[in-house]
Amino acid sequence: MNSSAAKQQPALPLLAMKAISKRFPGVVALDGVSLSLARGEVLALMGENGAGKSTLMKVLGGVLQPDSGRILIDGAEVKLAGIRDARRRGIALIHQELMFAPNLDIAGNIFLGNEPGTGPSLRPLARSELRARAARLLGRVGLDLPVTTRAGTMLKGQLQLCEIAKALALDARIIVMDEPTSSLTQSESAQLFSIIHKLRAEGIGIVYISHRMDEVMELADRITVLRDGRHVGDMSRAEATHERVVQLMVGRPLHNQYFPERPAAEPAGEVVLRVDNVLVPGAGTAVSFEARRGEILGFAGLVGAGRTELMAVIFGVSRALAGSMELYGQPFAPRHPDHAIARGVFLAPEDRKQLGLVLAMSVEHNTTLPDLPRHARFGVLDRRRERRTATAEVQRLGIKVRNIQEKVVNLSGGNQQKVVLGKWLAMQPRLLILDEPTRGIDIGAKAEIYRHMAELAASGVTLIMVSSDMEEILGMSDRVVVMHQRRIRGVLGRAALNAEHIADLMTGGGSKCSEEGMPV
Amino acid sequence: MRREFGMGVLLFVLCAGLWASNPDFLGASNAINTLRQIAMLGILATGISFVIIAGGVDLSIGSLVGLTGVVIAKLSSTQTGGLGYPLWVGIPMALAVALSLGWMQGLLITRLALQPFIVTLGGMLLFRGVSQTIAEGGTLSLGGSPLLGLASGGIFGSEGLLPYPFVIFLGVIAVATYALHFSVYGRYLYAIGGNREAAEFSGIRVKRIEASTYVISAGLAGVAGICYAAYIGQMSQQVGIAYELYGIAAAVLGGCSLRGGEGSVLGIVIGSAVMRVIDNGINMFRLSYVDDTGAPRSWRLNPNWTFVIIGAVILVAVVLDQLVHILQGRRRIRRMLLHADQNKVAAVPSEHSVTSG
Repeated sequence: MNSSAAKQQPALPLLAMKAISKRFPGVVALDGVSLSLARGEVLALMGENGAGKSTLMKVLGGVLQPDSGRILIDGAEVKLAGIRDARRRGIALIHQELMFAPNLDIAGNIFLGNEPGTGPSLRPLARSELRARAARLLGRVGLDLPVTTRAGTMLKGQLQLCEIAKALALDARIIVMDEPTSSLTQSESAQLFSIIHKLRAEGIGIVYISHRMDEVMELADRITVLRDGRHVGDMSRAEATHERVVQLMVGRPLHNQYFPERPAAEPAGEVVLRVDNVLVPGAGTAVSFEARRGEILGFAGLVGAGRTELMAVIFGVSRALAGSMELYGQPFAPRHPDHAIARGVFLAPEDRKQLGLVLAMSVEHNTTLPDLPRHARFGVLDRRRERRTATAEVQRLGIKVRNIQEKVVNLSGGNQQKVVLGKWLAMQPRLLILDEPTRGIDIGAKAEIYRHMAELAASGVTLIMVSSDMEEILGMSDRVVVMHQRRIRGVLGRAALNAEHIADLMTGGGSKCSEEGMPV
Repeated sequence: MRREFGMGVLLFVLCAGLWASNPDFLGASNAINTLRQIAMLGILATGISFVIIAGGVDLSIGSLVGLTGVVIAKLSSTQTGGLGYPLWVGIPMALAVALSLGWMQGLLITRLALQPFIVTLGGMLLFRGVSQTIAEGGTLSLGGSPLLGLASGGIFGSEGLLPYPFVIFLGVIAVATYALHFSVYGRYLYAIGGNREAAEFSGIRVKRIEASTYVISAGLAGVAGICYAAYIGQMSQQVGIAYELYGIAAAVLGGCSLRGGEGSVLGIVIGSAVMRVIDNGINMFRLSYVDDTGAPRSWRLNPNWTFVIIGAVILVAVVLDQLVHILQGRRRIRRMLLHADQNKVAAVPSEHSVTSG
């Protein structure tokens, strides 16, 4: 497929970073890390959260100055004094969180801060030139959209391609991509990969930061692994195996078993939630499904398949336009999350910082927030009872905090997610909806969250798990509902779970799809 | 508590300095007057702080002060233009007007998802216009009304060292302290101000609570308005102009953030006091010196500098606060990193000691 690693190597690498060290007060972020990148090479940079990947890339982008070490471009030593300096030398960073002004169009965004022409910023904006050049760049990245499309109306995948166009507009020769596929659909990722292949053929060097082994194995010519600010491994793709890379990343042999043991049979308990022909706002067709007591019901699909919107209806955030729901046989039509919570239906949202937590509040206050009336006596908050609840959840979930008064904003992603879980576990859930429960969380915390999910299911709680991570869907679900374009494409039992089948259904393939004549 | 402490120190220094420069500052008549002024501003500031803590803003309270004052003057004045109703009719009516206007603004803001700034800006202009219409562009005198006793009288000693508005303020402080710091409602306000959507996703009836803050703010503006009417003794449409800004300034000085989610009753009380003591201090401050001829003289501040000084104090306070905040943040990160480092270092020898022992 891509065998360019063996291409004729030029004498001097495009980029060499030699023995880069960076200390922050009290911590060594980078300890003598070296890295090299050839023209037309894709280098995967891997490591757990906090391994130093971003620090290294910030040094490369001119955002941070290293304490020691050298950076060579085409064999000549350079000093990257700032972002502009790095850009001028052809280095472009594409951050995980895409940065676009939603009110500007594509052309405006691509050339933001890099508008054609020279002179003071009050010079007239060469609009037609801007658009013509933007159109050419969009052609290069294979994005078929008018350049006047506003960024705010575009999909994540399209924005990602725009970011690449933006890098090309700067004549970048080195492009750093930080987890570019974390919010892309499979087809968007595929498009991104083909662009990456094209850029590689043009001789551009790409540093690709990712946690996903499958992508790395598909794209990378070489893999560099960092751990605790040190360079711990360097290998070609041919030498790399999943186990080897993960072992280097975590520094200990990983039991391939980070999914907990689940009962072999699907739980055949009573139906807890029955969704009957519910029409979600924005969807064309109604959906129906059931969730049973003590099962983990996976919801697979691409980003934008309508899963989050369906969960919003079940949790009472938005209202169904038609159809009905039953909870334990009783009619269930929440008009506000309050109603759902009162019936024991809880949601841990995908965007935990925006929807799940009050970041400026303490772990304690976040934990008791949904259940405050039970923590008050005659209208006065009972601080002792609050402390007891929060402490219990911190212990049960192993949340790493100095004390429960610590503000949630200071916690890592994994611990934040545990706080979200804790606030619901403190209230005895009957149906717990987890939307992307482990997104952006490191492997250790992931395994713990899976273990808690399995325990909850075993204790009779029903879990709905929305996930875009195929491994997670396969590893945790008892049954899987597959959605595509806001429809349910299939419900698969434990016996029928396999990755190809699910992937087929969620990308619009499969028998059901052809019956309805949907385009693939 | 950083801001409360800082402003508390400032307040103490101000008072001590003013007293040293002019002992009359703590004389009965000035002290009573200053307490009354602090109380009236404090009632207003406490009200708007509910809105601010929940992440909103209310620009209409100055006009509501004017409107309640004009309404009560119109209803209870026995002079020209007054209707001559007794106070037990006038006071509840005036308060009801304020509360219902606050409720209407709250509904517009929450049910129609309009921006609080815009809705209350409209309210500010509209209510001001209504007071002008009621007063017919002139003044309504409360001469001879028993309401005047509300401002002039007080408890504690023959001089009434605690004026009635201050007694009312103490009551407001007590209720607000309970509501903000000890009740479920208060926690909800801070949560909504901190992250509105997360509060909604925790099952909190965000819209109801937000709407209620505008009712509280307007209601306390009404209480303040009645006090001001009693204090001034005659109402025109001029009364209360820009008071919303003083209220916001007092709340912000005391540690409320216009981003929401921050603030305390103690801070608001101190903030109101600082505002009023500065205002009063500009009149009271004097430096005595002996001139060339040997005659004792004293230098006083030009009252035209009032706004310059108040404005500068607000800016200096927020700038200092932000600087301290930034420095503390840096120090905390450094300490956290250091802590992590030490843990790593500490972990190694302890392992050794276990194996060796």
